[in-house]
Amino acid sequence: MAEPMSARGPEIVCDAVTKSFGHGPSMVEAVAPLSLSFASGQMAALVGPSGCGKSTLLRMVAGLEQPSCGTINLDGETPEALQRAGAFAMAFQDASLLPWRSVQGNIALARRLARLRADPEAVAEMIARVGLAGFEDARPAELSGGMRQRVAIARCLVTNPRVLLLDEPFGAVDELTRARLNTELPPLWKATGTTCLMVTHSVREAVALADRVVIFSSRPAEIVGDIAIPEEARSDKAARLALAEEVSVALAQGWDEAGAAERLAAQ
Amino acid sequence: MTALAREQWPAAMGRVLASVAFVLVLWHLAALSVAGSYMLAGPVAVAQYLLENSSLIWRALVVTAQNAAWGFMAGNLAAIGLALIVVMIPQSRMLVASVALVVFCLPLVATGPVLRVLYGPGPGPQITLAALSVYYTTFIPLLVGLRAAPGNWFDMIRLYGRGAWSTFVHVRVMAAMPYLMAGLQVAAPAAFLGAMVGEFTGAERGLGVLTLRALRALDVEATWSIALVAASVSMLAYWAIGWLADRITPSRPEILLATTPAPVRGPMALRALRALALGLATTVIVVALWWLVMEAFALNRFFAKRPDDLWHYLVTAPNAAAHRAALWTASTATLVQVVPGYLAGLFLGAGLALLLALVPMLAGGVLPVAIALRSVPIVTTAPLIVLALGRGAVGTITIVAVMTFFPALVACIQGLRQAPGQVLDLMRLYATNPLARLWHAQIPAMLPAFFAAARLSVPAAILAVTVAEWLATGRGLGALMAMTASTSDYNLLWSAIVVVAVGAALGYGLVGLIERVVLARVAPEQLRR
Repeated sequence: MAEPMSARGPEIVCDAVTKSFGHGPSMVEAVAPLSLSFASGQMAALVGPSGCGKSTLLRMVAGLEQPSCGTINLDGETPEALQRAGAFAMAFQDASLLPWRSVQGNIALARRLARLRADPEAVAEMIARVGLAGFEDARPAELSGGMRQRVAIARCLVTNPRVLLLDEPFGAVDELTRARLNTELPPLWKATGTTCLMVTHSVREAVALADRVVIFSSRPAEIVGDIAIPEEARSDKAARLALAEEVSVALAQGWDEAGAAERLAAQ
Repeated sequence: MTALAREQWPAAMGRVLASVAFVLVLWHLAALSVAGSYMLAGPVAVAQYLLENSSLIWRALVVTAQNAAWGFMAGNLAAIGLALIVVMIPQSRMLVASVALVVFCLPLVATGPVLRVLYGPGPGPQITLAALSVYYTTFIPLLVGLRAAPGNWFDMIRLYGRGAWSTFVHVRVMAAMPYLMAGLQVAAPAAFLGAMVGEFTGAERGLGVLTLRALRALDVEATWSIALVAASVSMLAYWAIGWLADRITPSRPEILLATTPAPVRGPMALRALRALALGLATTVIVVALWWLVMEAFALNRFFAKRPDDLWHYLVTAPNAAAHRAALWTASTATLVQVVPGYLAGLFLGAGLALLLALVPMLAGGVLPVAIALRSVPIVTTAPLIVLALGRGAVGTITIVAVMTFFPALVACIQGLRQAPGQVLDLMRLYATNPLARLWHAQIPAMLPAFFAAARLSVPAAILAVTVAEWLATGRGLGALMAMTASTSDYNLLWSAIVVVAVGAALGYGLVGLIERVVLARVAPEQLRR
């Protein structure tokens, strides 16, 4: 690595955070009062039904949305302060690469935006690490979906972020590619000591990758389960399956069918 | 062009040559059949005229092209400046867009003579008119393009604590490039049109001057030759910018040359109040700008009328009623020709597009021809239509219809392609008949493009009708403006300018209102989020 290893990721504390959109009768409450914290260097997966507000929580941690009530701080600092310090990186469901920039150009841009010095060697090393050596000058349109997501991950990691936010980064790629990316890429970010929050739909993915799985109910998001995944469970297939079963049960309880039907009827 | 590049060049060239030969033969036969009627000059006569007068035409062409190029630059720079203001100060969007629209609606036919008096001899009016006729069609798509990037790109910039400038440099500029190129492409022939109208207003040289001379002398060969040269140069400019755009921008999205209106929200009274406030603010700003320009350059009150001069002329003067009556007579005469022509062109264009959707075999050949003809400026075809159909209502209505037909056709063909392929596949799966497919999937997808064309066609139709009235019929606002310009009745000329600009802006607003109501019922998902 051309840069020294980044400082350990901050502890993230969400205190009575809520988020609602719209006004008056059309107001939608996306996140009910939530209080939870993520330890420094933790890798947490957020799972829950579609539209439950977990992505909104991620965006609030990133400072891309302001909480309607409550506060979020990271080692005592606001998300905005960490933004200015170039401490965040985020991967979205689609790779969100700029189509007019090459693979190299997209990754280098992140360093520039994070106010880091230009470092072609670090960029080249990151491209090699995500297995895209030889594709430095390719445009996003010339890459497959899986390759584009690798570029997005490389773009995240090239700035040595203290907080890594992953919003279903592999949601749009096929199952085989997804399994491969899940094996190859997490070691890259786990090695850096960054605090990592990942939104995912996949219980298996959550259990396989995270130290902790937080399970949300349907909208407005409330926590219905918070399960620690012990390190030794990862190598034990039976333990992993049992944990996955436990997460699925909690998820099913959180998925309030009657409430959902009622809301649909109201719309 | 890309389609052509993929094919074998010799085969493509062969096909083009065959089509040209076919058109030439048809043209020749048509000319033979109406020989001696002062309507149509055949290809042989035109070629002969062009050969005999090649140096005259070439000199005029160089002058017009130069004026058009300067106007093209000035108008597009103004468009880029306006778009940047709106991006940097988003609250100003509605106001800047409204004022820009009113200025775009100023009738070239009348601003020409006024500019001629202001500038005196020289290329000033031609260049200004060329600039005025291009800036709006660049401004609107550019505005769409600067805001068109996906939300994640903006989030990524914000995530690193970067602000509006970084967003502008890294995302907006490049994302807007295809939209800018689409605007520039439409602007190229429009600049040529503006320059030619400018030359009608007492210039010494240029294709516009030659056109006017040929029309007055009933010189059919000259009229057709000049029209052919002007149309070819316009198409060439259109094609050249398209070629450039293909090389500069990696992808070329289907682009509507107008923003989609926002959905209707909030209570009726509040919406009406908001529209009224916007109208009022626009009026105040336009009147203030008008007055400021006049005073800042200390322009002579004899020809540079101020708002209060017109107020006196139309309201407080002893014979104000007579002045108003003269305006009213001319306005109604124009209205009865522009409305049928506008509607006919619009619906014939949409109708042909629908027919082509039902018989897709024909579409491949029609679109390139329609796009090429759309780029032909009206001033070049108007004299030909006047020659062919006479100086009555039929000729004028046809000119207006031609002006709105091609943009509507091209927009609707492109709009019909926006119908989601999977929805159409699903319908085919149930063996739905083509008419039902059209009604349930393709027409709703086409409507935003149709209305975008309908809105932009309002000022275009008014330009067409005033040009026709000016060149040919001797009735209506176009003729009134030409007459008052030559008799130095500047009060009446300025009043006519105001009537035309306000009428065009109201027409544009009315079409926008209809669009909002229709889309809210038929295709609410097409309204801007």
